[in-house]
Amino acid sequence: MNIWEIAAEVMIFTLVPLAWTTMRGDARHRLVSFLMAGVVITLLLMLLTMAFNRMPMMDVAITLALMSFGGGIVFARFFERHLP
Amino acid sequence: MKTIFIEGLIACAVFITVASVLGMMRMKDPYQRMHYISPPASVSAILITIAIFLQQGMKPESFKAVFITLVLIGMNTVVTHAAARAFRIAETRNWRPQDGEEVPIHRPDEPVERKEAA
Repeated sequence: MNIWEIAAEVMIFTLVPLAWTTMRGDARHRLVSFLMAGVVITLLLMLLTMAFNRMPMMDVAITLALMSFGGGIVFARFFERHLP
Repeated sequence: MKTIFIEGLIACAVFITVASVLGMMRMKDPYQRMHYISPPASVSAILITIAIFLQQGMKPESFKAVFITLVLIGMNTVVTHAAARAFRIAETRNWRPQDGEEVPIHRPDEPVERKEAA
Protein backbone atom coordinates (compact mmCIF):
# COMPACT_ATOMS: atom_id res chain seq x y z
CA MET A 1 0.00 0.00 0.00
CA ASN A 2 1.55 3.29 -1.08
CA ILE A 3 0.94 6.84 0.13
CA TRP A 4 -1.54 7.54 -2.68
CA GLU A 5 -3.78 4.66 -1.58
CA ILE A 6 -3.60 5.68 2.08
CA ALA A 7 -4.47 9.27 1.16
CA ALA A 8 -7.38 8.11 -0.99
CA GLU A 9 -8.73 5.91 1.81
CA VAL A 10 -8.55 8.75 4.32
CA MET A 11 -10.22 11.13 1.89
CA ILE A 12 -13.05 8.67 1.19
CA PHE A 13 -14.16 9.02 4.83
CA THR A 14 -14.69 12.75 4.36
CA LEU A 15 -17.52 11.86 2.00
CA VAL A 16 -19.56 10.39 4.88
CA PRO A 17 -20.41 13.70 6.61
CA LEU A 18 -20.81 15.37 3.21
CA ALA A 19 -23.30 12.71 2.11
CA TRP A 20 -25.14 13.12 5.42
CA THR A 21 -25.52 16.88 5.03
CA THR A 22 -26.35 16.54 1.33
CA MET A 23 -29.33 14.37 2.23
CA ARG A 24 -30.75 16.41 5.12
CA GLY A 25 -31.25 20.01 6.15
CA ASP A 26 -32.52 22.84 4.01
CA ALA A 27 -31.74 23.28 0.33
CA ARG A 28 -28.94 25.83 0.86
CA HIS A 29 -26.97 23.52 3.15
CA ARG A 30 -27.46 20.64 0.75
CA LEU A 31 -26.17 22.65 -2.22
CA VAL A 32 -23.04 23.76 -0.34
CA SER A 33 -22.31 20.16 0.71
CA PHE A 34 -22.86 19.05 -2.87
CA LEU A 35 -20.33 21.59 -4.15
CA MET A 36 -17.80 20.48 -1.55
CA ALA A 37 -18.39 16.82 -2.45
CA GLY A 38 -17.64 17.60 -6.10
CA VAL A 39 -14.26 19.08 -5.18
CA VAL A 40 -13.38 16.23 -2.80
CA ILE A 41 -14.32 13.51 -5.30
CA THR A 42 -12.26 15.22 -8.01
CA LEU A 43 -9.21 15.20 -5.73
CA LEU A 44 -10.01 11.61 -4.78
CA LEU A 45 -10.02 10.55 -8.43
CA MET A 46 -6.61 12.18 -8.90
CA LEU A 47 -5.27 10.22 -5.92
CA LEU A 48 -6.83 6.95 -7.12
CA THR A 49 -5.33 7.46 -10.58
CA MET A 50 -1.88 7.62 -9.05
CA ALA A 51 -2.61 4.85 -6.53
CA PHE A 52 -3.62 2.30 -9.17
CA ASN A 53 -1.22 3.66 -11.78
CA ARG A 54 -4.02 3.87 -14.36
CA MET A 55 -3.23 7.17 -16.01
CA PRO A 56 -6.25 7.34 -18.36
CA MET A 57 -8.41 7.62 -15.22
CA MET A 58 -7.19 11.22 -14.94
CA ASP A 59 -9.66 12.00 -17.74
CA VAL A 60 -12.49 11.01 -15.41
CA ALA A 61 -11.28 13.59 -12.88
CA ILE A 62 -11.15 16.24 -15.64
CA THR A 63 -14.68 15.36 -16.71
CA LEU A 64 -16.00 15.50 -13.16
CA ALA A 65 -14.33 18.87 -12.51
CA LEU A 66 -15.94 20.35 -15.62
CA MET A 67 -19.33 18.74 -15.02
CA SER A 68 -19.55 19.79 -11.37
CA PHE A 69 -18.85 23.37 -12.53
CA GLY A 70 -21.83 23.21 -14.87
CA GLY A 71 -23.96 21.43 -12.28
CA GLY A 72 -23.20 24.02 -9.62
CA ILE A 73 -24.13 26.89 -11.92
CA VAL A 74 -27.38 25.20 -12.97
CA PHE A 75 -28.35 24.51 -9.34
CA ALA A 76 -27.53 28.09 -8.38
CA ARG A 77 -29.73 29.47 -11.17
CA PHE A 78 -32.52 27.09 -10.19
CA PHE A 79 -32.36 28.14 -6.53
CA GLU A 80 -32.28 31.78 -7.52
CA ARG A 81 -35.66 31.44 -9.22
CA HIS A 82 -37.43 28.71 -7.27
CA LEU A 83 -36.02 28.57 -3.72
CA PRO A 84 -38.83 29.65 -1.37
CA MET B 1 14.32 12.27 -0.21
CA LYS B 2 11.94 12.85 -3.11
CA THR B 3 9.59 10.16 -1.77
CA ILE B 4 9.47 11.82 1.65
CA PHE B 5 8.71 15.17 0.02
CA ILE B 6 5.90 13.61 -2.05
CA GLU B 7 4.47 11.94 1.05
CA GLY B 8 4.60 15.25 2.93
CA LEU B 9 2.74 17.03 0.13
CA ILE B 10 0.05 14.35 -0.01
CA ALA B 11 -0.32 14.33 3.79
CA CYS B 12 -0.75 18.13 3.83
CA ALA B 13 -3.34 17.96 1.03
CA VAL B 14 -5.35 15.29 2.84
CA PHE B 15 -5.10 17.13 6.17
CA ILE B 16 -6.36 20.37 4.60
CA THR B 17 -9.27 18.55 2.97
CA VAL B 18 -10.29 16.71 6.15
CA ALA B 19 -9.96 19.87 8.25
CA SER B 20 -12.07 21.83 5.74
CA VAL B 21 -14.83 19.22 5.73
CA LEU B 22 -14.88 19.11 9.54
CA GLY B 23 -14.85 22.91 9.71
CA MET B 24 -17.71 23.03 7.26
CA MET B 25 -19.73 20.66 9.45
CA ARG B 26 -19.08 22.96 12.40
CA MET B 27 -20.61 26.03 10.73
CA LYS B 28 -24.36 26.58 10.89
CA ASP B 29 -24.80 29.23 8.21
CA PRO B 30 -24.53 28.28 4.49
CA TYR B 31 -22.64 31.52 3.75
CA GLN B 32 -20.03 30.54 6.34
CA ARG B 33 -19.91 26.96 5.07
CA MET B 34 -19.08 28.14 1.55
CA HIS B 35 -15.73 29.49 2.65
CA TYR B 36 -14.54 25.98 3.48
CA ILE B 37 -14.79 24.83 -0.16
CA SER B 38 -11.88 27.01 -1.15
CA PRO B 39 -8.91 25.33 0.70
CA PRO B 40 -9.37 21.87 -0.89
CA ALA B 41 -10.14 23.40 -4.30
CA SER B 42 -7.02 25.54 -4.31
CA VAL B 43 -4.32 24.46 -1.83
CA SER B 44 -4.97 20.70 -1.77
CA ALA B 45 -5.26 20.53 -5.56
CA ILE B 46 -1.98 22.43 -5.99
CA LEU B 47 -0.17 20.18 -3.49
CA ILE B 48 -1.42 17.01 -5.19
CA THR B 49 -0.42 18.39 -8.59
CA ILE B 50 3.11 19.15 -7.35
CA ALA B 51 3.31 15.61 -5.95
CA ILE B 52 2.18 14.15 -9.28
CA PHE B 53 4.79 16.26 -11.11
CA LEU B 54 7.52 15.04 -8.75
CA GLN B 55 6.54 11.41 -9.18
CA GLN B 56 5.71 11.32 -12.88
CA GLY B 57 7.82 14.12 -14.35
CA MET B 58 6.81 15.80 -17.60
CA LYS B 59 4.13 13.31 -18.59
CA PRO B 60 0.64 14.01 -20.02
CA GLU B 61 -1.02 13.07 -16.72
CA SER B 62 0.98 15.77 -14.94
CA PHE B 63 -0.39 18.40 -17.29
CA LYS B 64 -3.87 16.95 -16.89
CA ALA B 65 -3.47 17.46 -13.15
CA VAL B 66 -2.49 21.09 -13.79
CA PHE B 67 -5.61 21.52 -15.93
CA ILE B 68 -7.80 20.00 -13.18
CA THR B 69 -6.27 22.38 -10.63
CA LEU B 70 -6.93 25.39 -12.85
CA VAL B 71 -10.52 24.24 -13.43
CA LEU B 72 -11.06 23.72 -9.70
CA ILE B 73 -9.68 27.13 -8.77
CA GLY B 74 -11.70 28.89 -11.46
CA MET B 75 -14.80 26.82 -10.82
CA ASN B 76 -14.73 27.38 -7.07
CA THR B 77 -14.72 31.16 -7.32
CA VAL B 78 -17.50 31.33 -9.90
CA VAL B 79 -19.79 28.67 -8.44
CA THR B 80 -19.42 29.89 -4.85
CA HIS B 81 -20.31 33.42 -5.89
CA ALA B 82 -23.23 32.19 -7.99
CA ALA B 83 -24.59 30.07 -5.14
CA ALA B 84 -24.25 32.85 -2.56
CA ARG B 85 -25.92 35.28 -4.94
CA ALA B 86 -28.75 32.79 -5.53
CA PHE B 87 -29.32 32.34 -1.78
CA ARG B 88 -29.36 36.08 -1.28
CA ILE B 89 -31.81 36.66 -4.16
CA ALA B 90 -34.07 33.90 -2.83
CA GLU B 91 -34.10 35.65 0.55
CA THR B 92 -34.44 39.31 -0.43
CA ARG B 93 -35.13 39.38 -4.22
CA ASN B 94 -32.15 41.72 -4.60
CA TRP B 95 -28.67 40.52 -3.81
CA ARG B 96 -27.19 43.98 -3.26
CA PRO B 97 -27.29 45.41 0.29
CA GLN B 98 -30.43 47.41 0.94
CA ASP B 99 -30.43 50.96 2.28
CA GLY B 100 -29.28 50.97 5.89
CA GLU B 101 -28.36 47.27 5.86
CA GLU B 102 -25.10 46.41 7.57
CA VAL B 103 -22.41 44.48 5.74
CA PRO B 104 -21.45 41.84 6.85
CA ILE B 105 -25.02 40.70 7.25
CA HIS B 106 -25.76 38.95 10.54
CA ARG B 107 -27.39 35.55 10.72
CA PRO B 108 -31.05 35.67 11.78
CA ASP B 109 -30.33 33.70 14.98
CA GLU B 110 -27.07 35.49 15.77
CA PRO B 111 -27.19 37.86 18.79
CA VAL B 112 -26.38 41.38 17.63
CA GLU B 113 -24.56 43.69 20.01
CA ARG B 114 -26.29 47.04 20.16
CA LYS B 115 -24.10 50.10 20.42
CA GLU B 116 -25.26 52.53 23.01
CA ALA B 117 -25.63 56.12 21.93
CA ALA B 118 -22.86 58.30 23.26
